[in-house]
Amino acid sequence: MKSPVQNAQLQTPQQRQQLQREWFQQLVVGAEVDAEYDPDWLLPLREKALQSISTLPLLNRKQEAWRYNRVDNIFQNSFDPLFDNDLEQKICIEDIGLPAIDSYRLVFINGRIDLSLSELSELPAGVILTGTAEALRTIPDQLMSSFDHLHQPGEQLFTALNTALFNDGVYLHVNQSVTLDRPVEIIYLNNNLTRSEQHVGSMIQTRNIIDLESGASATVIEHFISNNKHEKYFHNNFTDINLADDSRLRHYRIQDESRLAYHLSNVQITQHRRSRYFSTCLAFGGLWSKSAVRVEFQAQQAECDLLGLYTVGDQQLTDFHLDVQHRVPSCRSSEQFKGILYGRGRAVFDGRILVDRQAQHSDAALTNDNLLLVRDAEVNTKPQLEIYADDVKCSHGTTVGRLDPEQLFYMRSRGIAEHSARKMLCQGFATDIIESFELQQLRDYASEKIAHTLNSVESEMEHKNGH
Amino acid sequence: MRSALKNDQENDQTPIDDLIRSGYAHGFVTPIESDTFPPGLSENTILKISAKKNEPDWVLEWRLKAYRRWLAMEDPEWAHVKHPDIDFQSMSYYSAPKKKESLNSLDEVDPQLLEAYNKLGIPLEEQKALAGAAVDAVFDSVSVATTFRKSLADAGVIFCSMSEAIQKHPQLVQKYMGSVVPYSDNFYAALNAAVFTDGTFVYIPQGVRCPMELSTYFRINEANTGQFERTLIIAEAGSSVSYLEGCTAPMRDENQLHAAVVELVAMDDASIKYSTVQNWYPGDEQGKGGIYNFVTKRGACRGKRSHISWTQVETGSAITWKYPSCLLIGDDSVGEFYSVAVTRGRQQADTGTKMIHIGANTKSTIVSKGISAGHGQNTYRGLVRMSKGAVNARNHTQCDSLLLGDQCAAHTFPYIEVMNPDAEVEHEATTSKISDDQLFYCRQRGISEEDAVSMIVNGFCKEVFKELPMEFAVEAQKLLNLTLEGAVG
Amino acid sequence: MLRINNLHVKIEGKQILNGLDLTVNAGEVHAIMGPNGSGKSTLSHVLAGREGYEVTDGQVLFNAENLLQLSPEQRAHKGVFLAMQYPVELPGVNNMTFIRESINAIRRARGQDEFNTLEFLQLIREKAAQLQLDEKLLKRNVNAGFSGGEKKRNEVLQMAMLEPQLAILDETDSGLDIDALRVIAQGVNSLRSAERSIILVTHYQRLLEYIQPDFVHVLVNGRIVRSGDKQLALTLEQKGYNWIIEEDAA
Repeated sequence: MKSPVQNAQLQTPQQRQQLQREWFQQLVVGAEVDAEYDPDWLLPLREKALQSISTLPLLNRKQEAWRYNRVDNIFQNSFDPLFDNDLEQKICIEDIGLPAIDSYRLVFINGRIDLSLSELSELPAGVILTGTAEALRTIPDQLMSSFDHLHQPGEQLFTALNTALFNDGVYLHVNQSVTLDRPVEIIYLNNNLTRSEQHVGSMIQTRNIIDLESGASATVIEHFISNNKHEKYFHNNFTDINLADDSRLRHYRIQDESRLAYHLSNVQITQHRRSRYFSTCLAFGGLWSKSAVRVEFQAQQAECDLLGLYTVGDQQLTDFHLDVQHRVPSCRSSEQFKGILYGRGRAVFDGRILVDRQAQHSDAALTNDNLLLVRDAEVNTKPQLEIYADDVKCSHGTTVGRLDPEQLFYMRSRGIAEHSARKMLCQGFATDIIESFELQQLRDYASEKIAHTLNSVESEMEHKNGH
Repeated sequence: MRSALKNDQENDQTPIDDLIRSGYAHGFVTPIESDTFPPGLSENTILKISAKKNEPDWVLEWRLKAYRRWLAMEDPEWAHVKHPDIDFQSMSYYSAPKKKESLNSLDEVDPQLLEAYNKLGIPLEEQKALAGAAVDAVFDSVSVATTFRKSLADAGVIFCSMSEAIQKHPQLVQKYMGSVVPYSDNFYAALNAAVFTDGTFVYIPQGVRCPMELSTYFRINEANTGQFERTLIIAEAGSSVSYLEGCTAPMRDENQLHAAVVELVAMDDASIKYSTVQNWYPGDEQGKGGIYNFVTKRGACRGKRSHISWTQVETGSAITWKYPSCLLIGDDSVGEFYSVAVTRGRQQADTGTKMIHIGANTKSTIVSKGISAGHGQNTYRGLVRMSKGAVNARNHTQCDSLLLGDQCAAHTFPYIEVMNPDAEVEHEATTSKISDDQLFYCRQRGISEEDAVSMIVNGFCKEVFKELPMEFAVEAQKLLNLTLEGAVG
Repeated sequence: MLRINNLHVKIEGKQILNGLDLTVNAGEVHAIMGPNGSGKSTLSHVLAGREGYEVTDGQVLFNAENLLQLSPEQRAHKGVFLAMQYPVELPGVNNMTFIRESINAIRRARGQDEFNTLEFLQLIREKAAQLQLDEKLLKRNVNAGFSGGEKKRNEVLQMAMLEPQLAILDETDSGLDIDALRVIAQGVNSLRSAERSIILVTHYQRLLEYIQPDFVHVLVNGRIVRSGDKQLALTLEQKGYNWIIEEDAA
C-alpha cells in the first residue's frame, strides 16, 4: 500500500491543486452549521467566507507560510465535517491526566462545549466566560468587532473555513480593572467520531475570542488533548485576542493532540497601550501541527513575550510561524523558541519581526535553538528582521546542533550514565521555557512530559544499540 | 608596490574632493566608435552573436537551448526589490569597441580606451609596471586587453577572455561551462547563457600557485546595452588563485541590465579567492537611472579540502540581486562569504549567499554587513543547508545592519535547513545605528563628525575589508567613504 | 583661563544649572562636589559641548573666547578634554587608530605637524606604561569589552596623549578599586603643570586624597553654594551634604 506521501509526489501540480480545492469544497458542502442563532451581522460574513472557499488562492510551497510544510500531504486525507458527539460516553476529566489546577474550566468535546464537565461557578463580577455559540446568542454585539479583521496572510483558506463552519469556541470577556482570581482552563478533548467510510477522521473547528478591557488581567491555559494517541482528526482553531490599555494576559497553550492528528492554530493578538502579553506554547503532539501567532502593537509601550518549546518525534511535523508587528513606537517584544528533535520528523520555525518606519525605539529580540538527537530529523528555521526605522534595538539568533560531546563526556567522567547525561542536558535545554510557567503544576506537568518523551527515546536507542 | 599605492592614497586629497562633488566618479562616457547590434532579442540575435564570435556549433546549440528555456521562465519576484518590468526587446545584446579582432599587447589597444581605463583609476600600463597584477579589461561586451600573458603562460596559467578560451581551449570550456550554474538555473542565468558575449577564463593547472593577483575590470560604456559576461575559473588539485573584479558604468537616465554568471571550480586542496568591488552607476538621488545588477555567482568545492572564498564590497547599482554561493561537495572543504553592501539614495540590494554543505566536515563562514542610508533598502538573504551526508559540518553566520537615517530599511531573511544531527549551525543578526554618544565621544577627542562616522562605519566593515587583498581594501575603504559622504548628518 | 558667569542650563525643559559661577586660572586644580542630581555631569557636558543642553542664560569664556559657540571638536582642538564617566564603546574601531586620529586632528587644527607612526608608537607606549595599561588594550577596539577600570585608564591615557589645557574628569573615580584609583591619580598628578588646569567632578572625597585640589566647590541645585580649600572636602566627608543644603535653603 502506498503511503499518502508517495501519492502526493506522484501527482502533477495541477492534480494537487484540484485535490486541494476539492478538499476545502467538500468540507463546506458536507458541513452542518448551527446558524439559526447567528446574529444578523454574522450571516453575511459566513456567506462571504463560504464563497471564498472556491476563490481564495490555494496553498503552495512557494508561499513563505507553507514553504517547508509539505502542505499537500494534508489533502490526501479527507475529513468529515459531520459527526455527533456520543452523549452516552462518560468522560471523567480528572482521569485524563492533566495537572490539577484550581481554575475556571471550559471543556470542549470535539469542538462542542460540554457544560457538565465545565466549572464556571463563582465567576467574579465583570467576567463573562462561556461558549462562543452561547455568547453569539446572548450578547452578539460584543463579539462583532472580533470578526472585523479576519484574514491572516498565508492562512486565508483555513481562516475562511473556520469562519464559515465554526460552531463553538471560547468567549472570555474581562471588564475594566478586573483581575481574574483563578486561571481559566480550556480543555479541547478531540477524538475521531466519523462513521463515514470515505473519511479518515473528523473535522473540528473552534473559534475563540478573548477580550480584556483596560487594566484587566487574566491567565488562560489551553490544553489540546485526545483520548488516546491513535485518534485521527483535524482541529482548526482560530483565536482572536484583544488587549486594551494596561491589560495583561498570560496565555499558556499546550498542544498534546493525538499522534495521528492534524492541528492548525491561528492566534491573533492586538495590543493597546502598555498592555502585556506573555505566552508559552508547548507542542508535543500531532502528526502535523502548525501554530501561527501574530502580534500587532497598535499603541505605544506595549510588550509581549512569546516562548515556546516543541518536541518532534518520528513522522511528526511541527511548525511555528510567529509574526510580531511593531507598528508604533516604543514597544518591546521577545520571542524565544526551542526545539528537541528526537525522531525522524521535521520542525519548521519562521519568526518575523517587522518594525515600521514610525516605530522608533522598538526593542525586539528573537531566538530559536534546536537540538537534533537523531539522524533523519530535519530543522528548517527562518528568523527574519524587516526593519524600516533606525533607532531600534533588534536582533535574532538561531542555532541548530547536537548535545555538546564535551559536556556529555564531562558528565560521564563524573560517573553519570550516558543516557541520563543526555536526558539531563535536554532537560537543561528546555528549562528556561518551562520555568516561564507561573504555575508550579504546569512546570511539573511539562517537565514530566519531556522526561517521559526522553525516556522513551533513550530506551528505544538502547534497544536499537542492543541489536 | 605597496608603498607606491600608499603614497597615491595619501597625496590624493584633491582628486577625492573632486570626486565627492561629482557624486559618482565614473560617470563619464568614452566617445569610442563601437560595433553595436540594434536592440532586440530573438534566436536570430543569438545566431548573430555566435557568428560574430565565430563560435563552434556546440556553443551555439547551448545558447539556443538556454534561450528556449528562458522563454518559458518567469522573471523572479521573490526578492525584496521593486522595479518596473524590464523590456528585454529594448536593449542591445552586443556592443564592442571597433578594433582589430584580437589583440596581442596593450600597444594595440585603442588609445581612447586606455585613456578611459586611466580615468577609471585602472592604468593598465602602470598597473603592469607597479602592481604586478594581471588585468583583463572588459569594455561593454568584449574583453579589450589582457596584460601579463607571458609570465602567466610560463607558469602554465591560462588567463584570457572567454571568447578566446572558446577558440583556444574548447575542451576545457566545454567540460566546465554550465557545470556549476546550468543554463536552466534561473531566469537571468538562462538569459546570460543565451546571449553572453564575453568574460574571463582562468585555468590554474595542478599544483600551481598563481604567481600574481588576476583582475578584471568591467565597464559598460554604450547606451541601451545589456552586459552579459561569463566568468569561469578552474583551479586544479593543489593550485591556488586570487581573483579581483571591479565594475563601473557611465551615468545615464535609463536603467541598464548587467546579468553576469560566474562559475568557480576547485579540485582537491585547491583554493580560489574571489573579490569584487562593485561600483556600477547607482542612479541619481531620486532613483533615476542606474544599473540592474542581477548576477549568479556560484563556486563548487568539488575536491577534498578545497576552499572558495567570496568577498564583495557592493556600493553601486540601482538594484543588486546576487548570492555568491558555495557547493561544499568535497569532504573538509571550506566556503566563505564576506560582504559589505551599501545602499543609499534609492538603491536596493537583495544579496547574500547560499552554503550548501554536502560533504563531511565541511565548514562555512558568512559575515554580512549591510549599511543603509538615505532611502536605501538593504536585504540579506541567505541559505545554509546541511544535507544528510554533511557529517560534522559547521556554519557560523553573522549578519549586521547599520542604519543611517530614518528613511532607510534593513532586512534579514536567513533560511536554515538542517538534515544532519552532527552538523552545527549558528546564526546571529543585529541592527544598530551610530549613537549620539559615540559621535560625541569622537568629537570630544577632536575628530570631526564626518571622520567619526567614517571611522565607525569602517570599523563596522573591518571583518570584511580584512579579507580583501591589500590594494583592494584601501580602494574599498575609499569607495565606502565616498559613497556615504553627505549621507549622514 | 576659564570663566563661567551666571550659567543657566535646561534639559528637556527642566532647569538643571541655576546661575553657576566659576573661575579657573591656569595651573589650578578645582574639585566640584555635590549630591546626585545637583548638576555636576551637566556642567561637564555643557563645557564639552554635548548636544541636548539648552543654555538659557550666562556665558562661558575659555581664554577670553566664547566656548559655547564652538562645536565639540573645536573645543577639543583648543584644549578642552573631558574624561567621561561612562566612556562609550566603538565596536570595530581600533583603540590605537582612534587615539592617533584624535591627536593628529588636534595637531592639524593647531597647525602642528602630525605625528608619524614611529613617534606616535613611542609616545603611546611610554604613556601606557606610566598608567600600567596593558598594551593589549591598545590593540583592541575602543573600550569594547574593557572593564570599568580599564575604561577609566584609557580615558586618562588619552588625556596624557592629548595634553589638554583644561581637563575635566567626570566621576573618574567611580567604580575603581583602590589600586586603580592610585594609578589613575598618579597619572593625573603627573599632568599637573603651571599651564594646565584640571576640574575634578566627584561625589566622594576619596579621590581628593590622591589628587590634592587647590579649591573645592559644592554644587547644590545647579549653583555653587560654597567654596573653600581641601578642608571643605573633609568636612563634607564627615557631615555629608545635607547641612549645606539646609543652610543654603535657610
